[in-house]
Amino acid sequence: MPRRVKESPLDQLFAALANPTRRDVLDALLDGDRSAGDLARLFEMSRPSVSEHLRALREAGLVEERAVGRQRIYRVTATPLAGLVDWLSPYERFWRDRLAALGGVVDRMDGDD
Amino acid sequence: MTEDLRTIRVDQFYPHPPAKVWRALTTPELMARWLMPNDFRAEPGHRFTFQARPVGATGFSGVIACEVLEVIPPHRLRISWADAAQADSARTEVSWTLTAEGTGTRVLLEHSGFDPDDPTQRLARRIMGGGWRGRVLASLAAVLDG
Repeated sequence: MPRRVKESPLDQLFAALANPTRRDVLDALLDGDRSAGDLARLFEMSRPSVSEHLRALREAGLVEERAVGRQRIYRVTATPLAGLVDWLSPYERFWRDRLAALGGVVDRMDGDD
Repeated sequence: MTEDLRTIRVDQFYPHPPAKVWRALTTPELMARWLMPNDFRAEPGHRFTFQARPVGATGFSGVIACEVLEVIPPHRLRISWADAAQADSARTEVSWTLTAEGTGTRVLLEHSGFDPDDPTQRLARRIMGGGWRGRVLASLAAVLDG
């Protein structure tokens, strides 16, 4: 089978999440923004390996960085995660949408209130 | 939200009393407006279908075969749910549980019985591992609200 040359964003997302350390890093960032130095201390890792994991997460669009003074602060970006959740569980989105639609129907009904 | 890949849980609050939400949930014409056209009756054992548009890409036929399993007005409705055209499709269950909350109603929807051997779900488990997915879903809600 010929290899696919180009990776899709979903490939990058899954590759980034397939690594348990990167899931732990993302997990920590879901609790709040942190600097690369914080993360290195938290996971007792060298700065270069933290940077490598952060780079993979950044390329997958899962985190973004900003400079604060001399530090780089990382935060989770939710959009690819929301897409991932929908991909893993299309029914979840279906029911979220349907329950929202139910709200519209109840709002327009007469009586009982 | 959802912890276990075999069950989907979604809840929503409505600023209306349970009796009114129950009516929207169990009246066929109203169900057609928020869910799908159907021949539902709120009687345990009643078999009925929902008619949707077929989705070619997923093999979904567009007809969902259901049976009413439990009716406790205005508290709980439980039905079975299966793609009518796929004999081997898993028979899943959908339930709605209504709880009065102040002057409104919280509805918890649970869709259970998904096949743990489904390839997508196997892949999901391998990638996400353990309780991580549920954790992400819970945090995601906070992130999206923030």
